[in-house]
Amino acid sequence: MNTTIPSEYEIHAYIDGRLDESRRQAVEFYLAQHPERAEEVRAWQRDTQRLRAAYGALPAMADNPALDPARIRARRWQRFRARLAMAAMLVLSLCIGGFGGWQVHGWRFARAMPPMGDAMAAYRMVAVNQSVPLDVVSEEDSVLQAWLDKHIERTARLPDLHDAGYHPIGGRLFATDQGPAAMVLYKDAEGHAISFYVRPPGPMRDLLPSGQRADGGLLAQYGSDRSYNYAMVSRVDGTDKRLVAQALERVI
Amino acid sequence: MPYHAIDAQLRELLPRLRRFALWLTREATSADDLVQSTLERALSRWDSRRDSAALRPWLFTILYRLFLDARRNAKRYASMLERFRFGDEEEHPSVEREVMAQSVLWSLERLPPDQRNLLLWVAVEGLSYEEIAQILDVPIGTVMSRLSRARQALRRLNDGETTTPVLRLLK
Repeated sequence: MNTTIPSEYEIHAYIDGRLDESRRQAVEFYLAQHPERAEEVRAWQRDTQRLRAAYGALPAMADNPALDPARIRARRWQRFRARLAMAAMLVLSLCIGGFGGWQVHGWRFARAMPPMGDAMAAYRMVAVNQSVPLDVVSEEDSVLQAWLDKHIERTARLPDLHDAGYHPIGGRLFATDQGPAAMVLYKDAEGHAISFYVRPPGPMRDLLPSGQRADGGLLAQYGSDRSYNYAMVSRVDGTDKRLVAQALERVI
Repeated sequence: MPYHAIDAQLRELLPRLRRFALWLTREATSADDLVQSTLERALSRWDSRRDSAALRPWLFTILYRLFLDARRNAKRYASMLERFRFGDEEEHPSVEREVMAQSVLWSLERLPPDQRNLLLWVAVEGLSYEEIAQILDVPIGTVMSRLSRARQALRRLNDGETTTPVLRLLK
């Protein structure tokens, strides 16, 4: 028989009935030899039993249906769905906000940048100020068409202005934010110039509705097919704008 | 495990949790709030519970930790609340007080909360010492020495002594 002093653990386990038989007997043996310790342990044991009995005898607490697990589970599910709905609303409003914001950005951008301003600038440089030379000089429609096709893929046919007395004299490329743009210049016998300007719509596929605008004595008439923005620029006076409009219409 | 089986298990332990929460919070509404939070957390973490972990100590652990969190938060406002309390002593419901008056529970109520919790877990809830060590996050040896002190304190109260040293007038 083990006569060593039981550990604190063993004393409590003895009181709470959690010792196996051999160790229980060992503790009993020890307590039999130490009456003072035995008295304390018995008292603790009595207290424990009385505590358990008294606690068990407490009247049941009033029922609280809110605590039923099924109810709590249902509430959790409701809350989850509410959060899901809120998240969906958030995503939706972000989308609306983002899309709307982009639209507004587009409108402001459009207002800040009047349509085909680059075509008019190109006309000024080449035909008015003659500050830049032409890249290609030719009066042959076929040569200029080939030049245009080489630089601007799948673009339209050059307008034919021969009936109106205009013939092509050459072309020039321009770099724009939307990609390379090309301009072909026409002149008549009196030296009036009309430009035909082609520009890709850019990554935002910013295609223009047909329209026209005048700025600084120049008139730009413009529009788009599915691939490019086009403009024909001429002086406000000296050139029949209906003639230009018809020519542009045929191109698009 | 199907939902209704889980719910049935929880429902069975509900009275014990509520009773223990009442001893912790000393106020029926707070106790049920605490139990409700406990069940919510238990349901949300049910899947992460190891199968081997016994349900009862797991729930008591959640409940006790939530109580400690709540008390920590409440302490920040304690000084403010103090001013609004007019002799509103923490009390058990009156029915309980009557029962307790003649029993060892009266002594239990006079123990420091930590000792009271320990005795309830050991003697009433039958949690193992190891489980209690996990709830309290202390070594098992600490649980044993605290248990000795709690049992001594309960003994002294049952004998009509007080736990706090009494100043004696020296003649």
